[in-house]
Amino acid sequence: MIELVKTILFFIGMGLVGLGAVFDLIGALGLLRFPNFFVRLHAATIGAIGGAVYPLIGVALMAPSLESFGQYRWYLMGGAIITALFIVLAAPTGSHALARATHRAKVVPVEPKVVDHLEEDRG
Amino acid sequence: MKTREKILLALIIISLALLAVILSFGALGAVPLKTIRPLGSFYLYFMANNNIVIQEIYPSITKPSDFWAASTEGITAILWDYRGLDTLFETSVFFFAIIGSVSVFRYYSVSLEEKNKKNTNNSSTNTKTSGQGLSLIVKLITRINFVVIIAVSASIAFHGQLTPGGGFQGGATLAVAPLLAIAALSRYFVEDVGLKKNTMLTIRTLGLLIIGLLALTPLIMGFAGGNPYIMENQPKSWAMFIGFPSFGLGVLLGSLAFYNMAELLAVGAGFTVVFLLLTLPEEFFKKILSREVGKQ
Repeated sequence: MIELVKTILFFIGMGLVGLGAVFDLIGALGLLRFPNFFVRLHAATIGAIGGAVYPLIGVALMAPSLESFGQYRWYLMGGAIITALFIVLAAPTGSHALARATHRAKVVPVEPKVVDHLEEDRG
Repeated sequence: MKTREKILLALIIISLALLAVILSFGALGAVPLKTIRPLGSFYLYFMANNNIVIQEIYPSITKPSDFWAASTEGITAILWDYRGLDTLFETSVFFFAIIGSVSVFRYYSVSLEEKNKKNTNNSSTNTKTSGQGLSLIVKLITRINFVVIIAVSASIAFHGQLTPGGGFQGGATLAVAPLLAIAALSRYFVEDVGLKKNTMLTIRTLGLLIIGLLALTPLIMGFAGGNPYIMENQPKSWAMFIGFPSFGLGVLLGSLAFYNMAELLAVGAGFTVVFLLLTLPEEFFKKILSREVGKQ
């Protein structure tokens, strides 16, 4: 039973690592193709969250079945989860600070613009 | 499609294919070796040779524990035990470098907060309000990360004799916490927490004092008889020093753990002093320095 759970977790983990690669590709494409700074920043965050946090959670799920690592697989699992949590906290904060500072300083034009509520609020 | 774009596309495809081949070979190979490689066994023999497994590799040595450094972390053992004097003087060089930079800002003793209190004299402009720093989100996350970074630096340093890491790495990581807080919150926050310049200088000096005392302890004990030498870690058959406490390959291992802790204090506080001095407003210390020039 436990072996079955481990195997299922291993394949879910592998899927998450693969999904991370897809997100990285999407983020890279977005970074190249998106029209202005703010949406490009959004693409960069896809690379950080989708491309780093999901694979790390995937590694954490794969770790219990890596028998050859011995007890160190639990260190691997813990380290992966902590790192994922840290990136979840830090990466959006970084992009938020960048976007906010850029918008306040008006260093990049929001072009093409559909709607900019922040600008309307500030007046 | 132009020729240039075709070449670019071909190059991208080739590099991706190469990367895929390299990565798949890396994953298909044997991940951790069950046997110890010769170089690894050589180092382990000198670091951790109280281990029975290592003694089996070198049965010809009758008393291997003479070279026992009580550490599974080769780098830490080499740095602090095998070429310890070198690291001791490196730490001293770092100490004097910080002393030099502090002496450049020598008349700065009061904190920024006290200076503002003197200037404003209970006026309505309270500089310590929440208006300082970046947005609420950044400030909250920085507060969380402040604690996390300190915990990570402690784990790097206190585990340095067992796993990669050590005092200097831990201290450098520790100094990131106040730097981040200065950038995201404000200098006032850092000073409020208690990380003032003179406190940090004291902690740093304390760290170096501990390192010096740890290095000299075996030598001082040598005057009582025996034949110990400076920075001795574990007991040797030709020296009478009983050695720093070590419980097998367990948690507390010889002098290396203590050296790492002291180095964490020295390096972390040293970098914090420099960051605090560098974020000082220019008009503040320039005024003090010009006053000094005016006196003469």
